[in-house]
Amino acid sequence: MSPEPTNANGVAPLLDVRGLTAGYGQVQVLQGLNLRVAQGEVAVILGANGAGKTTTMRAISGMIARKGAITFSGDPMAKRSPDEIVRMGIAQVPQGRGTFTDLTVEDNLRAGAFVRKGADIEADIQEWFDVFPRLRERREQKAGSLSGGEQQMLAIARALMSRPKLLLCDEPSLGLAPIITQELFAVLQRLNAERGLSILIVEQNANLALGIAHSVFVLETGAIVASGTAEEISNNDAVRKAYLGY
Amino acid sequence: MPFHIRESSPLHWVLRIISVSALAALAVYIASDSAPSTLGKITEACTLAIAAVSLNLLLGFNGQISLGHSTFVGLAAFTAGYSVNAWHWNPWVSLGVACLVCFVLGLILGLPALRLKGPYLALVTLAVAFVWPTVARKFLDQTVKASTLKGMRLRPPTWTGLSNNRTDRALFLFWLAIVLLVVTYVIVRNIRKSRIGRSLVAVRDNETAAAVMGVNLAITKTVTFGISAALAGVAGWLAAAQLATLDENSFTILSSIKYLLALFLGGAATLAGPVVGAFSYFFADDLLKTNATKWDFLPGPLSKGPVASFLLGVLVIVFVFIAPYGLVGFIKLQARRVAVVIPRPLRAAPLATESTEHISPAVAGEI
Amino acid sequence: MGHLLQYVLNGLARGSIYSLIALGLVVIYRGTGHLNFAQGEMALFATFGAWWINDHGVPLWLAIMIAAGGAFVVGGVIEFGLIRPAGKKSPFAVVVITIGLFQAFNSLSGLLFKGAATGLPFGTLFPNKPTDFFRLPGGAIWRYEYVGVLVTVLVITALLFLLFQKTKVGLAMRMVANNPDSAKLAGVPTNKILMLSWALSASIGAIGGCLVAGINANVNLGTMFGVFLLASAAATLGGLDSPLGAVVGGLSLGVIESLVTNYPKSWWGSTYIGADTAIAVAFLIILVVLLVRPSGLFGSTRVERV
Repeated sequence: MSPEPTNANGVAPLLDVRGLTAGYGQVQVLQGLNLRVAQGEVAVILGANGAGKTTTMRAISGMIARKGAITFSGDPMAKRSPDEIVRMGIAQVPQGRGTFTDLTVEDNLRAGAFVRKGADIEADIQEWFDVFPRLRERREQKAGSLSGGEQQMLAIARALMSRPKLLLCDEPSLGLAPIITQELFAVLQRLNAERGLSILIVEQNANLALGIAHSVFVLETGAIVASGTAEEISNNDAVRKAYLGY
Repeated sequence: MPFHIRESSPLHWVLRIISVSALAALAVYIASDSAPSTLGKITEACTLAIAAVSLNLLLGFNGQISLGHSTFVGLAAFTAGYSVNAWHWNPWVSLGVACLVCFVLGLILGLPALRLKGPYLALVTLAVAFVWPTVARKFLDQTVKASTLKGMRLRPPTWTGLSNNRTDRALFLFWLAIVLLVVTYVIVRNIRKSRIGRSLVAVRDNETAAAVMGVNLAITKTVTFGISAALAGVAGWLAAAQLATLDENSFTILSSIKYLLALFLGGAATLAGPVVGAFSYFFADDLLKTNATKWDFLPGPLSKGPVASFLLGVLVIVFVFIAPYGLVGFIKLQARRVAVVIPRPLRAAPLATESTEHISPAVAGEI
Repeated sequence: MGHLLQYVLNGLARGSIYSLIALGLVVIYRGTGHLNFAQGEMALFATFGAWWINDHGVPLWLAIMIAAGGAFVVGGVIEFGLIRPAGKKSPFAVVVITIGLFQAFNSLSGLLFKGAATGLPFGTLFPNKPTDFFRLPGGAIWRYEYVGVLVTVLVITALLFLLFQKTKVGLAMRMVANNPDSAKLAGVPTNKILMLSWALSASIGAIGGCLVAGINANVNLGTMFGVFLLASAAATLGGLDSPLGAVVGGLSLGVIESLVTNYPKSWWGSTYIGADTAIAVAFLIILVVLLVRPSGLFGSTRVERV
């Protein structure tokens, strides 16, 4: 288990994070984190509460001060602001969905396309309504009135409205019923398979995450302690005990 | 590595005694060596300080904002002035009654405060401050039929050995103001250090969590409002003791804003903050006002009156950047490099440690 | 009945100005959660600016436009130079700074404009000869200047609502107001939006100040204080984060004020009446409304997490 997995095809990774440190005030949460996401793959970060999963996501998106080297498609982005990072092609679905509860469903999607210009925005909205028909039914409603599952779908659709190359999902299963969670992961898998969207998910629910992951990183107290393919990680005894419970 | 002092250890007591005696010596020196006008100014500053201390109990420690404290101060001043002049009450009795009246009004105002938060509460209290001068005006028109109400013209009691001339009267009022300020300060300090004080802070930091821990929100918040109002009443009574005439326009929203500024400049949620802030604000204002008239270097068309007021506004803004947690917060931050006071462990369960530590550097380790 | 109609119409004109200043407060509050205590005095300074430009031979309408433009810049600079850095320092810092600005702008007006304390004559914006009015059924009259103020404010308000609802900048402002974190994640440069909010708010305030001065035909150092109080009351009544609430709140306060001031004798005897009493009644109504709806008529209640 090397802390820095190399990609099978040898191509430069889409997202390359090296020695990432970040925290809040005096508290340093991430202690030199390394991780890579290849073009077209689903990568998963597994970790318990307080391991630094959300901090990792916020650090990548530029929401908190951070140090270290981060490149996206070869471009350094550790010093970029959140809006520049969105423009580079990274969209995040934050923890707790982060929908604009006072805005209508349709305005939420328009909000997601904030960094884009042009007439095809409306066409994209229709496209995502086709993928998530429930959202079309509720397009005039305020997002706050949707159910948890619907809000999560909306949050994903909204993130995708910026036409990202990489989608970051922060604990998408949080607070959702198991059946909805499964539906959600199926959607993510389809997005990856049909559209070639690269996805980085942080999750506590290891079973589900391992089911759709190509590569997996295990995060403990701010650093990656194990990484490999989904299969390798599932067969790792320590990880199995800690995250799968058998 | 800063020097560590355990709270209530002999060393801490020595330091406390030294600082208190230094302050007392300063007061004695000022009293012996100052003109009546200077003593009068200090008395005014004490009035401001008492009002700021009372506001600190409510806003700093309990998190309820009030722009209506000018009303309590004004109400107490009017109660004292009227009862002494019209009904010939003993001034000392009027102090108790004025505080009681304010306490009741504070309780009443505390009721809407239960439902309102932040800016909404600010507005309602501001409304009270706005309405007060009108009510006072009607009262004056209806009763004394004069533009102003007379003050109490408090005479020094015979046991002080002071006569009733201008100098002795200023000296008496000075000491009276100091004593009232100390009493108010000690009351707030004791509340803060007690179990009740901890529940006040708990309510400020997280109402729901405090309620779950067993704090009665309704009683805590309304009674705090009442006590704060009663203490503000002390400031009003003192104003009535000092001023020859009481004008309703001396107690407007602008006074409330002054209390708020004094509190923030000194350091909200610290015990000494409002006192330090009130004196600094009062004398900065006074210094600018007396000196601005002498500045001949100002270009001709500029009128000199507003210069002082403008500079005070600018000074306040600049100050916030230097000491965002107030003067006391700033001093504590610097002093912490030299010495740190370690709080005494509480007798209750360890869970009940001070919940204020993370709020601001100013709050931790109050002296 | 005719009188009632007239009082309501006059109240609407004054109320429309309150709603304009209230809108300025709401625009800032939505973005940052701060109440700008200096809103009225910033507007006052801009109004003196318009007076000064007008005094130098520029037509009044144009002078107001220039003043509003200047206020736009000043508002942005204040956000960038003072509010933003202070917000990072402590939660109290911004409150203190707006109070400091309140004092600084008021005294700066007195400093720069000779005669500001006693009042300077402000030009008229609308025809206001004694005969300039509409006759309404029931004997009521509706003066052109009140019509003018009301129409002007309604047009500005409509433009603002178009900005909020139909433009990308407006969408960004709503995003920042609703969920600043998600707005950042969607690529909104939130700092620029907040700066724009302050700029816009200062600009709206400047126009409001000039309208008040126009109706009073005079501007002095105390002109905006009462207006600001009523505007902040209006914003609170409507709900501090609701532009619609600011408009409704402002108009209702104007009408309440007008009715209370104009119905003295039959209602409560003439000695008890005055502008202050009107405001007292208005505040009483607000208190009742807030007790029923603690976040105002149209304000949103946020669920608190423990």
